[in-house]
Amino acid sequence: MPLSRWSSPWSIAVWLLGALLVLFVAGPLARLLLQARPASLAAAFRDPELMASLWLTVLTATSATICSLFLGVPLAYLLARVPFPGRRVVAGLVELPVVVPHPVAGIALLLFLGRQSPTGRALGALGLEFVSHVPGIIAGMLFVSAPIVVSAAREAFRGVDPKLERVARTLGDTGWDAFRRVTLPIAGRSVLAGAVLAWARSVSEFGSIVILTYNPKVASILIYDRFTLFGLPAAVPAAVVLLLLALVVFVVVQLLAPEGGVRR
Amino acid sequence: MIRLEGVGLRLGGFALSEIGFEIPAGGYGLVIGPTGSGKTTLLEAIAGHLPLTSGRIVLRDRDVTEAAPERRRIGFVYQHYHLFPHMTVGENIGYGLREQGTAGRGHRVRELAELLNLTPLLDRGIGGLSGGEQQRIALARALAPRPGILLLDEPFAAVDPATRRALRRELRAIHEREGTTTLQVTHDFEDAMQLGDVVAVLAGGRIAQLGAPEQVFRFPNSAFVAEFIGTGTVLRGVVQRLSHDGSAEGTEAVGGGRFAARFRSGALDLEVAAEREGAAYAVLRPADLMVSRTATAGPAPRNRFAARVTRVEHGAAVAHVHLDVEGTALVAAVMTTTAEELDLVAGLTVMVGVKATAIHLI
Repeated sequence: MPLSRWSSPWSIAVWLLGALLVLFVAGPLARLLLQARPASLAAAFRDPELMASLWLTVLTATSATICSLFLGVPLAYLLARVPFPGRRVVAGLVELPVVVPHPVAGIALLLFLGRQSPTGRALGALGLEFVSHVPGIIAGMLFVSAPIVVSAAREAFRGVDPKLERVARTLGDTGWDAFRRVTLPIAGRSVLAGAVLAWARSVSEFGSIVILTYNPKVASILIYDRFTLFGLPAAVPAAVVLLLLALVVFVVVQLLAPEGGVRR
Repeated sequence: MIRLEGVGLRLGGFALSEIGFEIPAGGYGLVIGPTGSGKTTLLEAIAGHLPLTSGRIVLRDRDVTEAAPERRRIGFVYQHYHLFPHMTVGENIGYGLREQGTAGRGHRVRELAELLNLTPLLDRGIGGLSGGEQQRIALARALAPRPGILLLDEPFAAVDPATRRALRRELRAIHEREGTTTLQVTHDFEDAMQLGDVVAVLAGGRIAQLGAPEQVFRFPNSAFVAEFIGTGTVLRGVVQRLSHDGSAEGTEAVGGGRFAARFRSGALDLEVAAEREGAAYAVLRPADLMVSRTATAGPAPRNRFAARVTRVEHGAAVAHVHLDVEGTALVAAVMTTTAEELDLVAGLTVMVGVKATAIHLI
């Protein structure tokens, strides 16, 4: 049944309900953008603490995304292509962080990576400290964003016919070459779109980081900090700056959305 | 040269067993079989994409059973072409030539493009190409590195009949020009008759019959092969030895270790040359059935019987006449001009003759 015309009560109901949700999402964001005065926004961009926090956020989110890609793409390829025992269990495990409340993820990471745990002591001996250190921020971001990369890459690889790689192998490619020259270029846009989403998810992470590494402060924690200490007017400019950053990412994801991938 | 020795493999619930044949260097072999018989699986095993559970694969006198696909120097063309969607036609053709310099690669790509009438397409992407064009590109891509061995998976399955005929001619010409040892999978015996030096009929993961296409067509070794490749009408019946006086007792040798006998199937009672008595299948090839309007017309074979025409399929040169002999269906092939002269139409009763030695018993 076409919904492009106001032809029936059912169509009207569908359009109305959809519009309500769009309003609910767009309304608060628009209100926040309108709330910021140009002067306070300009001051925010000159605020060294906010800028340092934003820089730290971008740096740690980028690090977490690179880790997600480095570890997640091979796993996604295995999940998409290789029928190994326990594949469904592994696939479920990797997606588990999506349903774990983020403070719970923070506590779990604290127990796993803190100095009291064998893992934390072993990594500490290698000079890798997590609690109240930058690696803790990256760990929290990686925990919540890796499922996005794995899921996007797995679906992208599933969309590439394995016979394309087989053809490449008969044309002299090793398995790695076939992946690099055929599968990755075809699936690349979707994997990259997943990575950008994961990056955005990392930037917005708060729950697990606040438990692992309150200081140094990433942007989400700084905004929370200013809200609780100085009230709404102090938090709004920083919030608007973070929202603008999210909007840039949103546009990038839209531009990266796959178009079908066949050259004409 | 492609030689398979006792090749077996398991893929889920399906298995290939005891596959063995050889295609000499420069030869053209075909594997024919129904859907699900393991044809593509066999090709993928030869290409090294699937591990064997038993047997050996020998290519160019070298055992490649354990070799990786990229070390087998094989060109592979899949049924649905599988062109690389992110590349132009020229990049697709030149994909396997990266170890050659730009000049060498360009020269070989242009050479194949010219051979396969692809030159105008070289710089465009693969979107919107016809099935025939895609097939030619896939073929050019496979041939570009001069693999010496070419594996073709149902190369004509997704193209129209006219393109199929043209591609068959081109394929045979390219095969002779490039001197590749070729193994083609097909479900159409016409491909085998027109292209192949040797044909293997595959059924349920095993070779049902192996031989020259003409030999397999004329002398199928089982009812399955006869029915699948369309040799002719397959009748199930009983063979009984004939005496000198024509009664079913005593013996009368007809040469080649065969003896005169009667084959009975339903209403049909045919004189045949048999090698053994008992239950058997008789294959009646359409071209061996002689159709006439009267009992006296034409030569007089040992078997003559009346039949009713149920349908006539007129082809360009040959007409297929569907006949009914008291409930037993037969098909005869006559020249279209003969069918018109005899005015063969459904419902007409005709006389059918067939030589005893033309009936193939299985």
